[in-house]
Amino acid sequence: MKSKTEVILIITNILAWLAVAGFIIKAGAILISYGVSIGNPEGAKNLYMGMNLYNLMQFDFWHYTGAVLQMILILGTEAYTAFLVTKVLSKIKIANPFTVEISKILEKISYFILAVWAMAMFYNAHMQWLAKQVPGLQENLFSEESLFIAGVVFVFAQIFKKGVELQSENELTV
Amino acid sequence: MPIIVNLDVMMAKRKMSLNELSEKVNLTLANLSILKTGKAKAVRFSTLEAICKALDCQPGDILEFVQKG
Repeated sequence: MKSKTEVILIITNILAWLAVAGFIIKAGAILISYGVSIGNPEGAKNLYMGMNLYNLMQFDFWHYTGAVLQMILILGTEAYTAFLVTKVLSKIKIANPFTVEISKILEKISYFILAVWAMAMFYNAHMQWLAKQVPGLQENLFSEESLFIAGVVFVFAQIFKKGVELQSENELTV
Repeated sequence: MPIIVNLDVMMAKRKMSLNELSEKVNLTLANLSILKTGKAKAVRFSTLEAICKALDCQPGDILEFVQKG
């Protein structure tokens, strides 16, 4: 019989895998649509679920390429971060949850979320600047709240580190 | 760590093996080994009491403070 926490962790693990798949599918779809749009500029009208960068492509191909590459980079980093979450969830053991390995992955997750935030800020600034140059450009901005999430995960990672110390002390108490 | 565990010395004095001590104090061999090799970070009073009883000694015979540096 699994405990409630174990069931929650299994469900969260499945959700994290879905997030990984979602980010990869989105990045892949954008990349393929971008490839198509090189040969057929009409493809830029619907890069992914109605995302229309046709005006931008007409304005400047390299800005268009830059915007698409930034999007793919952000989505790729988000996918990797979600993958790290699945790693944590599959490695964690309820009986002895505090291990150095998980603590390191948690810290890594916080850095990757911070990287996503920095890239999203850069992308948003780029798109907002382009929106002034290209009339009718659909901006598709990324969320900028990940800085807060990165901070929270980093704090959790630090608390987790203390947990690792306490657990090892407990294990070495005779 | 400046606290030295002299369990092996006391065991030798009492001519007691680790297996025998493990049975007397009701501790696993692994845990006794952690204590004997100085890897332990803490010792419970109950463990210390059991060891002192089994080896007929005082806590000071098992634990020693050595100033380092």
